[in-house]
Amino acid sequence: MLLRPFTIYTPANLDETLRLFFSLENVKIQAGGTFLLNSLKLMKKRNLKTPQNVLSLRKVKELKGITSDRDTLTIRAMTTIDELFTSSHLKDNFSVLHTVCRNISTQPIRNMATVGGNLTCRYTWTEMPAAMIGLGATMHFADKDGKASSLPAEEFFKSNAKTDKLFTHVTIKRDPKSSIAYRRVKKTQYVDIPMLSILVKTHFSNDKWNDTIVSVNNCVTFAQRDSKLEGFLNSSRSSKNLGEEALAHMDNTIYDNRSDEYKKHMFQVSMKSAIEELASSRN
Amino acid sequence: MPRTLKINNKEYQIDLTGHETLLEVLRNQLGLTGTKTACEESECGTCTVTINGKAILSCITLAASVEGDDILTIEGLSDVEKLHPIQQAFLDKGAVQCGFCIPGMIMSAKALLEQNPEPTREEIDYALDGNLCRCAGYIKIIEAIEEAGKIMKQGASKQPTPRKHSDISPEKITV
Repeated sequence: MLLRPFTIYTPANLDETLRLFFSLENVKIQAGGTFLLNSLKLMKKRNLKTPQNVLSLRKVKELKGITSDRDTLTIRAMTTIDELFTSSHLKDNFSVLHTVCRNISTQPIRNMATVGGNLTCRYTWTEMPAAMIGLGATMHFADKDGKASSLPAEEFFKSNAKTDKLFTHVTIKRDPKSSIAYRRVKKTQYVDIPMLSILVKTHFSNDKWNDTIVSVNNCVTFAQRDSKLEGFLNSSRSSKNLGEEALAHMDNTIYDNRSDEYKKHMFQVSMKSAIEELASSRN
Repeated sequence: MPRTLKINNKEYQIDLTGHETLLEVLRNQLGLTGTKTACEESECGTCTVTINGKAILSCITLAASVEGDDILTIEGLSDVEKLHPIQQAFLDKGAVQCGFCIPGMIMSAKALLEQNPEPTREEIDYALDGNLCRCAGYIKIIEAIEEAGKIMKQGASKQPTPRKHSDISPEKITV
């Protein structure tokens, strides 16, 4: 057997899920399973203690699907990456998320992996956190009584992506006036996990940058914003040299964290290219 | 705890503790060894099956979590008399070298062609990016999938109709 024995629970609705999640001891949640199953195999190989109970969310209908109204996109936790990628609504209205999903891992993994798992698995090399921070997303949770609460994605990752509640969905406000650039570099040619990802979002008034968000995942720590670079860009106007000038204003505590020369170089190339893409759209 | 798994249009009553992967159940409990085991950590794609029409990796799927879903393995793709058009195209195009990756490749191709019978090469690359071939026979595999798509689109007039397992009443088996 690849895994040590545990008891699996497969609740069909959210109430039952909450009851089990808050009553079972030593329980792990299974969303898509793409991180969890391999982690449990590794723990067995290393002779580490594994959970007694696994709570599979696969059949919980309330946690599935994408909905949208005039202002807000709602993505429920058990929506798969492939469902996001193939959503025509997303492609037309949140094209950057479509791009983010396109670059995640491989087809069978995209069919299995979920938004909830990607955001809450507490691995640092996932794509969604930088995208959600950059898009100003809000993460929603339910406590043991089913009471809802929410937290900006940025705050969630500042607190090391820890929660004692159940993540249920994420919402993103529509922002049609924003301009967005996204960059992702994979770790190696053969291992398709990201080495870094960057999302830059701004609002132009003529060629001036306003309310800029620079969201960075260095894949060593949780995704975060580069406030220093945001400050520089918000005092700038689009110009041919803006990408090059911006490099001197990057907060190197983010980019140098356990980075070798190649990774530092790729951060600079990616950031310059993202800023140039946005600047050139206003030149 | 007994669970009912619907595999290749047969319902299997299987006693599961909970920690068994679908791959282990298919191969060790049901003898469906067409689904191959290799890396066992979601890297190689040899264990690909389809669940509700989507290609998934059985090595990272808990069998108990897919109770009630429509599971298709390579054994359920065709009947004993006629190969599925994808299988036939793999033979006709010489797409099989050592053959170990082929069941996974074919299941990924099945999921793709059911959704998109006329994929471009880029779309085939994208759909098969989770399936590795150590013989590096990718070109022939891609050509075979293109060919299979054409045959499937031409329909039943010239080719045997692939069995739609969802249309047939399930056979019940207790393991």
